[in-house]
Amino acid sequence: MLKKLWTHYFIPQEKNNHRATLLKPNFLLFFLILYLLNQSVIKTLVIIKPGILGYSSEITVQKVLDQTNNERKNLGLESLSYNSILSQSAQKKAEDMFENDYWAHNSPQGKTPWTFFDASGYKYSVAGENLAKDFYNTESLIKAWMNSPTHKANIVHQKYKEIGIAVVNGTIDGIKTTLVVEHFGTPLIGQIETSSTLTNDSQVSKSSGVKTGNILAGNSEKLISPLTVSKIFNSAIFIVLVIVLFVDGYITIKNNVHRLTGSTVGHIGFLIFIFLLMIYNQQGSIF
Amino acid sequence: MIIPKEVKQKPFEYIILLICLVIGFIFYILIGDNQARRWIIYSVGIVYFAWSLYHHYQRGDLQLSIVVEYLLVILFGIVFISGTLF
Repeated sequence: MLKKLWTHYFIPQEKNNHRATLLKPNFLLFFLILYLLNQSVIKTLVIIKPGILGYSSEITVQKVLDQTNNERKNLGLESLSYNSILSQSAQKKAEDMFENDYWAHNSPQGKTPWTFFDASGYKYSVAGENLAKDFYNTESLIKAWMNSPTHKANIVHQKYKEIGIAVVNGTIDGIKTTLVVEHFGTPLIGQIETSSTLTNDSQVSKSSGVKTGNILAGNSEKLISPLTVSKIFNSAIFIVLVIVLFVDGYITIKNNVHRLTGSTVGHIGFLIFIFLLMIYNQQGSIF
Repeated sequence: MIIPKEVKQKPFEYIILLICLVIGFIFYILIGDNQARRWIIYSVGIVYFAWSLYHHYQRGDLQLSIVVEYLLVILFGIVFISGTLF
């Protein structure tokens, strides 16, 4: 019984008119609907419960920069200049959080945000840090920052002139996530302000200048990332479809069957093209 | 190596399809902008659909069911890659 079902859906034969049932238009439509349904669930989750998703494919440095500056422009402030040294500092901070498995301004080893500014060689009079993780897209990330008074204060700080951004994927506390680090600063010219205060985890000020730090994250419970589940599920559908196409093509060639269907070779070629794009992006900067 | 009969019969059509897919992939790699990449994927989908119409017209078996099949495969591919990458 199971074997019959299996062959009916996967193997082209006389009973299914020499075309694997899974490749027939009604099943292709079913796959498409299943996929869209799955995507809708993810989008709904983003709205209902932001911050529980894993790797984001949408957030990029350029988008974070553009949208941060848009928020400043809306308030009539000058745009921040992108500074590669500050970006290195942000990158080092993100890498340090992944390496040492923590999510805070200060590392368990006692490194403060300013350790990374100094290590990168950025001399500042004013500096600040915004952190975020588990956001699905740039829009929701910036919106969340702007809804938080302390994060907003960094974004629209009048004294900041430059910004460095890092968007890094990795695993914290066993959960895959995308970390976004914004390092703000103004290069040191002239007199140094001196103050030293340490308030709470979401506001840090210390040493040579005004420095603020902000953390923003969604739920950090140990959950299986729905985005990962979604990707696995969607990839499974995709791979099954390609395998069935290969089997279909092979058996059709072997049995020398003539039938009225689309080109299996063409479909395989097109889907391999899609698959190659997937692989390329896994290795590239988007993921 | 097994070469399908349909490829043996119309090798140039498949070579053209292969070239289109390779060009699409190269453009995708060279262009870094997400919006432009999205359009490259749509364009390759449109090219594949046009190819399918020509291919089946030449074969004399261009029928609605075949057109629908191509549309669904292309839609599936585009929706899959768009939903995963963008």
